[in-house]
Amino acid sequence: MSTPAEWPIAIAKPNALPLADEAPVLRVAALRKSFEKRQVLRAIDWTVPAGRVIGLLGRNGAGKTTLLRCLLGLSPIDGGKIELFGEPMIEPAGERMHRIGFVPQSFDLFPWMKVRAYLDFTAAFYTHWDHPLTTRLLDSWQLDPRQKIGQLSQGQRQKLAIVRAIAPQPDLLVLDEPVASLDPQARRAFMAELLELMRQPGKTVIFSTHITADLERAEADIALLRDGRIQFTRPLAELRECMRLIVLSRAEGWVQAPAVAGLLKANIKGGDLQLLIENPDMQNLQALAAQSNASLRIETPTLEDLFVELA
Amino acid sequence: MKAVWQLWLQPWKKVPVLAVLVSLIWLGAMVTFCFAASHQVKLSALAVGMIAFGSWFWHVGQGQILRELCRPESFLMPYFTRRLACAAAINLTQWVLLPACISSLLGLPPAWLIAAALLCAAALGLAIGCGRRAGLLIWLLFIGAGWMPQLAAQAWYAALNSPLTAPLLLLIAILILHISLRPLLRIDDRETEASPLESMNLGRTNDTGGAPRLPRSAFNKRIGSLFDHTSQWALDQALHSYRQRPGSAQRLTLIRRLLLPHDNPLAIALRLALVACFVTIYFFAAIHRQHFNAAVVGAYATMLALTRFPQLGRGMQRMRPNLADLYLTLAPTTQAQYQKTLADALLILVPVSVLTAVAYTLLGIVLVHAAEPVQMLTTTIIVTTAASLVALAVHLIGPEGSFGRGLVNVVVIFGTMATYWGGYWLIGALGYVFGGGLMLIIALSFGISVWFAAQREYQRRRPCFDAPVA
Repeated sequence: MSTPAEWPIAIAKPNALPLADEAPVLRVAALRKSFEKRQVLRAIDWTVPAGRVIGLLGRNGAGKTTLLRCLLGLSPIDGGKIELFGEPMIEPAGERMHRIGFVPQSFDLFPWMKVRAYLDFTAAFYTHWDHPLTTRLLDSWQLDPRQKIGQLSQGQRQKLAIVRAIAPQPDLLVLDEPVASLDPQARRAFMAELLELMRQPGKTVIFSTHITADLERAEADIALLRDGRIQFTRPLAELRECMRLIVLSRAEGWVQAPAVAGLLKANIKGGDLQLLIENPDMQNLQALAAQSNASLRIETPTLEDLFVELA
Repeated sequence: MKAVWQLWLQPWKKVPVLAVLVSLIWLGAMVTFCFAASHQVKLSALAVGMIAFGSWFWHVGQGQILRELCRPESFLMPYFTRRLACAAAINLTQWVLLPACISSLLGLPPAWLIAAALLCAAALGLAIGCGRRAGLLIWLLFIGAGWMPQLAAQAWYAALNSPLTAPLLLLIAILILHISLRPLLRIDDRETEASPLESMNLGRTNDTGGAPRLPRSAFNKRIGSLFDHTSQWALDQALHSYRQRPGSAQRLTLIRRLLLPHDNPLAIALRLALVACFVTIYFFAAIHRQHFNAAVVGAYATMLALTRFPQLGRGMQRMRPNLADLYLTLAPTTQAQYQKTLADALLILVPVSVLTAVAYTLLGIVLVHAAEPVQMLTTTIIVTTAASLVALAVHLIGPEGSFGRGLVNVVVIFGTMATYWGGYWLIGALGYVFGGGLMLIIALSFGISVWFAAQREYQRRRPCFDAPVA
């Protein structure tokens, strides 16, 4: 069975997205970040074109939050270069801040402020602020504007953070596990708002989450962060099209996985040999099944299957 | 301007009482200026003093607000720092430029000297509010003045007439502002959170009221790491002991090591040594030429030892959600049993406080060459034992709100000091046997009965695991 280090991930090229006509929203080169002696991000190269929803996937501790905070200048970096809207991101400053919305993983700002006061305070800094949207979301998400932030539950704070992030109608929305604390209704409502926002031209969303169903609903491009690097960024449809889960079954079981072109991961479960293969050659697989005296089953993996196998 | 207006409004929302009082002081100063202009010009000096006093307080509040506002996420708001600078300019006009100009028109020393002095007062207040020790620099002046009052008076008159005073004050103000504001306006990775019940008395006591923790100095980091080592060592020892003999006493020690990580013998010794160092430095710098009443020193030592309890009250509130984990781990038969376990575990703070008070009193005795060391020590032991029991009791079952809690703290502290002085006098008047015995009976019976009543009430209550309302 292949080990993680042996996975031929390189075949999924980084930045393989077709570039849009306009300049990328985000360009990262050789980004490095460590906490004391622990290196979290190792030479990340990543480009995010405008007008896409990017789902940033990675296991716990992979560095998703760190990467998102570094991109916005909220965490100092050790090396490399970040360009946001074509300008180097040395510190979060300048006119482009009007174009950025951010939902942090945990919202613990200003506990003494009331919800309405907090939104008024924030709105005062922005040239665009969608007041009707704010009022509608507060109402439909049952957030009491007179309540203090410190008295809100974690889920309510998360809703408030989302309202605050999308109200300025940003061109780039960065969301760090925004739905982790939300109930299913709020999650769906949030996704609906997000998709609505995405219908407007030029809007880009970078979205870290473990709930792969949301990324499937948003038809997001998937970026996988592993071992401190972005392993690939590919549209979900492309992943669905080229990835196949091949199951070879035979009574006597398997000692080891056979060499197959495009193999990303192999698992042996009793009499089943599960192979995750990119762009499989069906004729070769059928020949392999016949040669091994095994039955062949071909499945399209879900995003969650892919995440479990690749992350 | 909307953003600047919102920034200007924050003190009125966060600290409305301070905002109202300070605004009244400012208005009072303006009225005094008007009165000085029409009647007595000398009064304008009083008005400047009022402005300096009000400015110091106002900027303490502003510093606290800045500490909460200047989170990394806030810098994502467009032109956040620029708007902060605009709000600061309005502040500067209100508290420095306008009073300086008015006083200059009224014939006080040059406007720039008053402006520099007022800027210094504002910077010192801001430093205190931001949690920087630079704000304590003002005490250097008072220490110096107390040490050599005649020289201080000469220096004061020389400074008033020197052209170098204003630039020097301006430089000091800029330096203090730089030290206070730079960490707030710089984006850094967050410091790791400490346990709410840790106590080092060195600025890492989790008493930030929700404000982000400022980056610690190298010295504080080293001391913090020493305290953390002692906690780990004590926990390892307790675990080892529990594995060897899993009795109820060992279990209680283990709970204490979890709940009160900095109340193990090594950490207590380290804390005592550090406080002794600071007190000695303070003593030699500030008061070594003055005569101090031994009773005052003893009462102060007792008060210092009791400061642990308000922090315990706040910490226990913040720990509540995590205590659910402890509850499930302990798996008590009844809720009252769990409450009793907690109360028993926290009771260790009483001997710790008595020991601390005795150590501080001994230090005080040595430093002030006290004439009646035994009398001081006897009073300290009796009063601290009783006061610790009462303080622990009121923090177990006392009010939850910050106002009620603050009130309770004030009553406990003042009550303790009054008891100390009363007890000291009683022993002096009636002798150790009668005076000491009487005080022992009154103070300890009060302390023990309050503790038992509170403990019973605490056991009667259901455990609460709700996060405290901010």
